[in-house]
Formats: sequence, structure tokens, C-alpha cells
Amino acid sequence: MAVGDLTAMAAAGEQSPRHRSGFRAWAGNPRALAGAGTVAALAVFCFFGPVFYHTNQVTVNLNAATHPPGAGHPLGTDGDGYDVLGRLMVGGQSSLELGFAVAAATTVIGVLYGAVAGWAGGVVDMVMMRVIDTFLALPTLVLLLLLVTIFTPTLLSVIVLLTALSWLGTARLVRGEVLALRTREYVQAAKTLGGGRWWIIRRHLVPNAFGVIVVSATFTIADAILMLSVLSFLGLGLPPPAADWGTMLANGLNYLFDGYWWMVYPPAVILVVMLVAINLAGEAARDTLDIRLRRR
Amino acid sequence: MTSYLARRAAQAIVVVIGVTILTFILIHLIPGSAARAALGVHATSGRIAIFNTAYGLDKPLYAQFADYVGQLLRGNLGVSYTTQQPVSALIAQRLPGDVLLLGVSTVLAVAIAIPMGIYQAVKRSRLSDQLLDAVSFTLYTMPDFFVAFMLIALFSVQLHILPPEAPQATGIAGLLADPRALVLPIATLTLSNLAGFSRYMRASAIDVLAEDFLRTARAKGLPERLVLVRHVLRNSVLPVVTVVGLTFPNIIAGAVIAEAVFSYQGMGLLFYQAATSHDYPVLLGSTLIVGAATVVGSLAADVAYGLLDPRIRHGRG
Amino acid sequence: MRTPRRLAAAAAAAAVIGLAACSGSGGSSAIGNGAASSATGQKVQGGTATLAWPDGSAPNLIFPLAPATNTNGYNANLTQLMWPYLVYDGDGAQSAVNPQESLFSSLTYGNGDTTITIKLKPWKWSDGTPITSRDFTFVYNLLKANVPNWVVYTPGLFPDDVKSVATPSASTIVVTLTRSYNADFYTDNVLSQIPLLPQQAWDKESAGGKVGNYDETAAGAKAVWAFLQKEGSDLSTFTTNPLWKVVDGPFTLASFSSDGDYTYAPNKNYSGTVPALSRVVNQVFTTDTAEMDALRSGTSLTVGTLPQNDVGQVATLKSEGYDVVNQPIPGAAGTLLNFYNAKTGPLVSQLYIRQAMEELIDRPQIVSKIFQGYADPGDGPVPVQGFGQWVSPLEKQGGPYPYDPAKAVSLLKSHGWQVTPSGTSVCQAPGTGPAECGAGITKGEPLSFQLLYSSGTASVDEAQAAIQSSEEQGGIKITLKSEPFATLASVIGQCTASSHPASTCGWQLVDFGYDPYQLDPTGNTLFNTGGANNLGGYSSPEEDALINETEYGSSAQTFYTYEDYTAEQLPWLWGPLPSQIDVYKSGLGGFAPLNPFRGSINPEDWYYTK
Repeated sequence: MAVGDLTAMAAAGEQSPRHRSGFRAWAGNPRALAGAGTVAALAVFCFFGPVFYHTNQVTVNLNAATHPPGAGHPLGTDGDGYDVLGRLMVGGQSSLELGFAVAAATTVIGVLYGAVAGWAGGVVDMVMMRVIDTFLALPTLVLLLLLVTIFTPTLLSVIVLLTALSWLGTARLVRGEVLALRTREYVQAAKTLGGGRWWIIRRHLVPNAFGVIVVSATFTIADAILMLSVLSFLGLGLPPPAADWGTMLANGLNYLFDGYWWMVYPPAVILVVMLVAINLAGEAARDTLDIRLRRR
Repeated sequence: MTSYLARRAAQAIVVVIGVTILTFILIHLIPGSAARAALGVHATSGRIAIFNTAYGLDKPLYAQFADYVGQLLRGNLGVSYTTQQPVSALIAQRLPGDVLLLGVSTVLAVAIAIPMGIYQAVKRSRLSDQLLDAVSFTLYTMPDFFVAFMLIALFSVQLHILPPEAPQATGIAGLLADPRALVLPIATLTLSNLAGFSRYMRASAIDVLAEDFLRTARAKGLPERLVLVRHVLRNSVLPVVTVVGLTFPNIIAGAVIAEAVFSYQGMGLLFYQAATSHDYPVLLGSTLIVGAATVVGSLAADVAYGLLDPRIRHGRG
Repeated sequence: MRTPRRLAAAAAAAAVIGLAACSGSGGSSAIGNGAASSATGQKVQGGTATLAWPDGSAPNLIFPLAPATNTNGYNANLTQLMWPYLVYDGDGAQSAVNPQESLFSSLTYGNGDTTITIKLKPWKWSDGTPITSRDFTFVYNLLKANVPNWVVYTPGLFPDDVKSVATPSASTIVVTLTRSYNADFYTDNVLSQIPLLPQQAWDKESAGGKVGNYDETAAGAKAVWAFLQKEGSDLSTFTTNPLWKVVDGPFTLASFSSDGDYTYAPNKNYSGTVPALSRVVNQVFTTDTAEMDALRSGTSLTVGTLPQNDVGQVATLKSEGYDVVNQPIPGAAGTLLNFYNAKTGPLVSQLYIRQAMEELIDRPQIVSKIFQGYADPGDGPVPVQGFGQWVSPLEKQGGPYPYDPAKAVSLLKSHGWQVTPSGTSVCQAPGTGPAECGAGITKGEPLSFQLLYSSGTASVDEAQAAIQSSEEQGGIKITLKSEPFATLASVIGQCTASSHPASTCGWQLVDFGYDPYQLDPTGNTLFNTGGANNLGGYSSPEEDALINETEYGSSAQTFYTYEDYTAEQLPWLWGPLPSQIDVYKSGLGGFAPLNPFRGSINPEDWYYTK
């Protein structure tokens, strides 16, 4: 259960301003700038870094294993002989792709489900929500094991898996928003004027629930990246030679007591920095998009 | 209120049933045979057949489920395939420790988060807020296993002042007999929860501080401290109540990572081992208990929310 | 098979002879074999030693003869110190029988190796009753009536191969076999699985019933067995049930907890040397990192194992008051090949392909860089370091297939493959001719495999990644998949010509760690057709014949012939077998030299020094 989407839930039920001025307000917020800026910088590092800094992240080179930072390897090498700095770049690509893909998919599915449930109300809503409750109470570990044993974990299968776990929270949030919003006068007016259900959802409800959706999406990015690191720690992560920050950290911890700090702290630091930046941007979004705060 | 409770209770039961059915289907979908997992790689087909017959695994799924439900209604949770111990005994042995560790850490986290959140909200955007923000963000984004490792590296390996394992005794009395060993596991779990709770508390307190009724209270001449305690606290604690209710099932489900790192055999590891070795009775038993805890926690949170927020108490029924 | 941890006692042992190594001197980071114990000083009576056990090692049966459905290897660890086997494997570091702790005073084979005369030592049970030949016939009767429901039962061996058992006196047993056996094989591998059980206390059919001679009838033997199995599974009475208090070994059970922690106390009435320690605590750890943490934090843990990737910490551990000792593991290690997998079966059935795959694995580099030198080189079926006299000259010099990527590539090319290094090689010349790919291989078929292995050990992850990477030189594409051991065990089954269902024979390559050997590293069950541990279905009449000869014949040359043939035939891809590295508190005497056949579980020999 993502903690982040509950923050957003705490802010749910409030009327959000139109998203156009909201974006400008968000962009002006220093936290948002710091957060989004850092994310952008890290993305450049991960996707364009390898163009300038070539390393082989596929072939194991045992003769160069566990070398401390030095000539040719600014951050040393890991247990398989891969250059750590290069691996951070390549691993970051996986981590970022995973985070954003899961957030995007989760948002789409969650919004659709939540909007339908919230709009329909009554029994349909109750059933749809109890279905969510059921899936939420399901043991995540069983689901994880099931999918990991059926499929060889690839980035795509992990994305699918994490989406399947994350959409529930978003759906609940959006449903709450829609529930609150559909009683608003402008929506009643639109209905009287003959507006179709989907048109109202698209034109009025979604834009006004936008703030909540954005906040939830940013927290989903962070949670997905964290979840992959937990999977790796349990031995259910991506198989070699695939790289991602969480696996690097989980593997590196085996060497903590040997004094091979370069296998532990670089992925830990970059992971924390990235996740903090994403959370900052999300928090700033929540701050700027919540109307009550703008009054202060 | 009673009709609301009754309705929610009925729904809760339906949810638990649904979870049980779903879990049952899921665990049987995992490829691999429970017999081989329990008997090992060199099991002959004869032994596997004996095993399957003994546990009814050669029957069709719906028959197995019916058997299980019948067993449940007689109060029997079954026997673990891998350890041959009754599931209820296994759970009874592991649950108290988890309740202790996770319960204490949740209470601690809430106790620290509430004042911290309010403090941050009051000092919003000032240096102290930014600093605490930075700390709680960082804690929130660090994976649990990393926090645990760092604590062990510092306090056990470097300084030798705290043991790196949770107490190995079973039962609450045994666990409490070794308080030094409880410190690091509880610290890890508290820190993980603290970050999330305090962010809620802060967000919620910020919201409440912007409310009009506070202006009235201040205008009436109430000292700021009383305003904070009497009004802000009471109103901003609501989302935290919801969150605590939603994390209640974790107390029952255990924490796999913390248990693995601190060598504590709790519910989390029980579940993990059962899941990896197709130990269906243990899996189903644990899921039932955790599922029940989830709905209870969620219901309790809603009820508490209703009790605390007068608007809701009188509004919804 | 297990990834290297403590050996279950049903496991074999290997000889550790003549290891030229320095003993673990303080400050150096080399790990010796402990041939010379560093604990000098006066032996002290008393003290508590705490042993670390891995996750999932909780015993669940205290009756020493486990039924076929209970394959928990850790039960034997619990019981062997209370009811030792007739023949005690491993004498210190030697792969020989230990005369002090065995229960027999002499074992003589006669009549062309068809009769065994066993003379028992004049030892007693803890209740004062002497150990007699009746106790042997008790065990024999129980087994005879209840096999195949005995977990270490091998069809054809004990008790099937026993024609008759005679007890001319209270201390003499004469066993007449149905055929002759190699005496070493029978003593080392068969008699070492048989404990003596107290007939005077256990020959009952119910808790309240009286002791009688029920075992002498088949129905009675079945009833006694069922009763003992039932009592033996009740964890809560392990320490209170009077049955289990009657022991003839060095220890009794002082406490037992269902999560796997248990404590031994010395058996004051032990007829051998009563242990010096006053308590031996067995503690379960969830991960080896947790164990490592406990060692590094200087807690009460006395004996633990060091993961291979932490060898760099040896110097620190030594300075913190520990000694470190390495113990080669007696087992066969490698990657199993499924000869009956629908897709890759035809590929691995070709010897030249197996050869090429083996030649692409840089075993020496894996041993030195990943296992820091503490591993068996993996040149053939018999570990070079573990087994002294059983290792053939061919294996000693590196085995038939040393690392040679060029040779592997040319081998593949000469059989009609288009080799694409770092890509995937494909078959260009299908057919069964000498320069063609081989039977069942189609044109364009890729050389790609999925390798399953069990997760959780950093050095194993690295070794598999290294193998994957070096196979690419021949265009052999290996996809790695790691799962927890139990999950792996649930999807892998035995695959033979007659039976290879898709549900359990979908695997292509799997690496479980190793299969333990007993004192005699026979290939029986591993490489013979239909052998219980022959999961991939390798079958060769010549192999079967050679294995037979090692069990019934007696010369060393016979064994070398079997060994060399097997090494060349590659029923598995041979691989390095990491040693077990044990860490123990300095000042614990008697720990070293280690007995690899008991997984270094011989706390009866340990003592603290002043």
C-alpha cells in the first residue's frame, strides 16, 4: 500500500483549481523546481552518460572484480567486474523506465476504474470498491512469487507485476475525488444540459481530480523503484546481466563488512536522491494544487 | 452507527471470503508441486503419490477448497507440509513476537510523528521544517534493508553496544527478557513508519492550521499551546488514524525484511518460506489471519475517524 | 542437493588427506585446514558452545529412522549425537572409519565377502542396560518390515541384501548377505547409516504398553514402527518423553524449541569419553548475513560459517578472537543437464556439445577470483581435495576438458555450427553425419539454454554470471534464472526415457549446489541409469557396468576407470565446489581438524582451554 497516495487521499475531497494555472503555480514553487530539475539531471546522466562514458555492462570480467575506485574506474568495480559508475547509468535507465512506466500504466488504469466507480455510485460502486479491498488484502508475496516463477523476470514483466499491485490505490483515490466532485453544481448543470457520461468525466471530473492524480503518480514512481529493490533483496529481482539501482544496492550490501564501500554507498545515494527529488516534486504539486493552502 | 457497523461487518466477511478464495486459486497456480517442495528433489513418484493422497492434492481444486472450508469450520487450520506442525501452533508461536515488535514500533512512530508533524506545520518553510523534512524524506526513501544494515553496522559491528539479532526466545516473556536485542529491530521498524506518518501529520496539520475556526479560537484569547493541543491535534490526527488502521495488518503480517536481517522467525518469514515451498496450509492460514486483520484495521480506522470527526459522526450513518 | 551449508548426516564424507596447508595462525589472512589446532593451553571442563544453523534447519522428528515421506536432512543432525551409527564416518580429517566413536570393536568380512561378523563394544545405554546384539536385530526387524518406507532406503541394499542375521552371543552379530560386496563400500556407505536402538525401552506398541518382542513378527514390527514414528513427531515432548532419554551417544537433549533451536547436555553415562562442554546450543539464523553480523559483533556465537565472498574479513575476524578453517566438501558439483527436455534434450545429448560447453567454463578463474581459492577445481566426478586415494591421475592433472575457448569453437564449427561469439550460434548442417549437428537438431536451431539455480548466495550468483558470460565466446546463449531453493525443488523432477512429463521436465540446465558423497564416492544413484539422483536421465550401459564394478570389485584401478570415463562423458557439466569455511572462537579446542563427513558437527570433541 503506497503511503504516498494516502497523502493525496488526505487532500482528496477538496475542489482542485483548473489545471492550467495550477501548473504555473507548481512550476514556480522552489521545491518543484529542485525536484523536477534533479530528476531531469539524473535522467540525462543515465541515458546520455553512456554515450560519453563507455563501459561493458554485459561481459563478466573477474580479473577486475571488486577493485576500489582508481584509474579507469572512478567508482571502482563490483563483484562481477562491472564498472560501478557505468552500471549506475545503465541501472538508472532500468529504474527510471520502470518507475515511469508503472506510474503511467497505474494512472491510466486507476483513473478509468475509479472514475467509473465514483460516477456510477450505489451498488456498482460498492462492489467495485470491495473488489479493490479484496485485492489489497491479498498477500503481495504470493502474487510476486507466482509471477516470478512463471516468467523469467524481465523489465517488462516486473512493470506489469508492479502495475497490478499499484493501480488499486490510485483507483481508490480517483473514486473518492469523483464522488465528491459529481455533486458539484457545474456537474449537475452539465448533466441537465444533456452532457454524456463520458464527456462529463473527461471534461470536468478528470481535470479537477488532476491534482490528486498527479500527486499519486509521482509517489507511484518512487514506490515502484523501491519495490524492485526489495524484490532483488529477496532474490526475486532481475537476473544478470541486467542492472538496476535496487539490485546493485542489495548485492553490494553483501560486501559492506569487507570494506567495499563503493558497491554500497553510490547506489544508495543515487537511489535516495532520485526518490527524494520525485517526492519533492510530488509534494510541491500537492501544495500548489490544494486550494485551501493558496489562501494562506 | 450500529447499522453502519453491521453493514461494514457483513462486507468485511465477504471480503475475507473473497481473499481466501483468490489466494487459494493463486497458490495453486504457482508452477511446481507441493509434494516435491516438501519431499525434496529426489522424491520418487511413489512417495509423491503417497504425499498427494495423504493431503488430498490429487482431488480437483473445488473439492480441495470444500475440504479446506470444512476443516476451517471445525476450527482446524491444517498441518504444514514442510514442518509437519499444526498451522495454528506455528502461528501461535510466531505471532506474539511480531505483535510486540511491530506494535511497539507503530506506537512509537505515531508518538513521535504527531508532535513532529505539528511542529513542522507550525514552523512551515522555516529552517527547522526544512531540516526535519530532509530527514524524513531521506528515511522514507531508503529501503528497509538498507536502514537495518546501517544500524547493525554502526551499533553492533563497530561499537559493539547492541546485539545484531532480535531475541531468539519465543513468547512475549522470552522476548522481553532481552531488551537490548529488541532495540535495533524496533528502531528499524519505527524509522520506516515514522517518516510516512510524520509526513501525513504535517500535511494534515498544515491543512487544519489554515482553517477558520482556529482564528475564532485565537480571537477568544486561547493561548497558542492550547490551540495546538485542543484543536489542531484533535483535527489533524484523523488521517493518521486512517493510516494506522491501514498499517495494522502489517503488525500481523510481520515484516519479512526486518525478520530476515535480524534473524527473527516471525510471521513474515513464515509466509515467505511457505510461499516459496508451496506450503498451502500455512499460506492459507496466514492469509486468512492477515486478511481478517486488514478488514478489522480498516473498519476500526473508519469507526475511529467517525468518532473523532464530529462532522462525519453526525453526517454519515 | 544443497548449496553448501552444514552437511546433513545422511550425507557422505570425503577424505581430507595430505592437504599441505598452514594452520590458521593469528593475523594472517590465509585459511588453513586446521590440521594443527591453534588451541593450546589446559583443557577445561564445562562451558557452552553455540553453533549457527541455516534457515529451514528445524528438525521435526526425533526417532532416528525417518519414514520415506520425511526428507528433512536435519533430523539426522539432531539424532546422530544421541544414537550414533554403528559405523562412525570420518576420523578427524581422515576419510576413514573412526574406531573410538563407532559402536563395534571389530568388523570382519568372510566367506568371500558374503558374511560380516560384527563384534560390539561392551558399552551401555544411558539407563544402564548393556548394548547388545538384540539391539541390532531390533533395528533390522523394524527395517525389514517397513521398507520401502525408510528415507535412506536404497532398493537392493540393506535390509534387502541380508539373507539372515544370527546373534551367537550378546556382543556378536553375524550378518549373511545375499551376495558379496566390496567390503569398504559396504562398511563405509551402508553400515554407516544404521544406528543401534534400545530394544529394552522402545520395543512397545503403545505408550502405556509393556516392552516385549513385538518386532519379531512383521505385524508387530509395523505396529512398533508406527508407534515410534508418532511419538517421534511430537515436538512438544522431545525433551520429556522417557523414550528419548535412553541414549547411547555422547549427548542428550536438554531443551528443544519448535523454531529449530535446541540444546544438548552431555550424557553422563556415555561409555566413550564424556564430552567436556556442559552445553551445546544449536541456533538457527535466517540468513548468512545475520550469522556474519553475529560473528562480527562478538556475541555468544561460537561456531559459524563464513560466506565465500567475505573471505576478505578473515584477518579482521582473527584479530577479534576467532580462528578460521576451511573444509573441502565431499560432494559432486556441477550443472545438471536434462537429456529429455523437449527443446534442448537433443542438444545436450551430443557429447561434442557438452564438451564445448565444459571447455568454455573458466573454472580456475572462478575458483581463484570468486571463491578466493577455497573451492574444488571441478575437473570430474570426484573432488580432488576431498578424496585423496580415490582421485585418478587424470583428474589430478586438471581433468579431460581444461578451459579452452578456441577448441570449443572449432569443435562446434567442425560439427556444422555457425558460431557467433556474443551472439547465438545456429546449426547450419543438420543431420547425423560426422560433420553434422546431430540427431534431432534442426537447421537454424540456436544454442541457447536456460540455467536455473538457487538464489541467496552472492558468490554463487557471481559464478553463474561468470559462466553465462564465458559461454558467450562460443555463441552459447545462457539465460539465468534464480529462485529460492524450495521453489526450484518443486519444479524439477527426474526425467528418464520412459517418463519425462512437461510439468517437471521443463528444465534445461539446473545447478543445485552439490550432491554429497559418503566415504566411498561411488557414482551409484548419480550417474547410473534410473539412479535416484540422476535427474537428467543420463544413460549409458558402459557407465552402468563400470559403476557396478566399483561396488562389487575391489581394486583402485577399477575405480579410476569409472572415474575417468565419467569425467569424459560429462553426464553433468563439472563445476567448482566451494569449500565450507568455518569460523570458531579461538580457544575452542578439538574443533579442528574438521571431519567433513559430519559437516564438522563433532561437539563431543570440543573443549575450552584456559
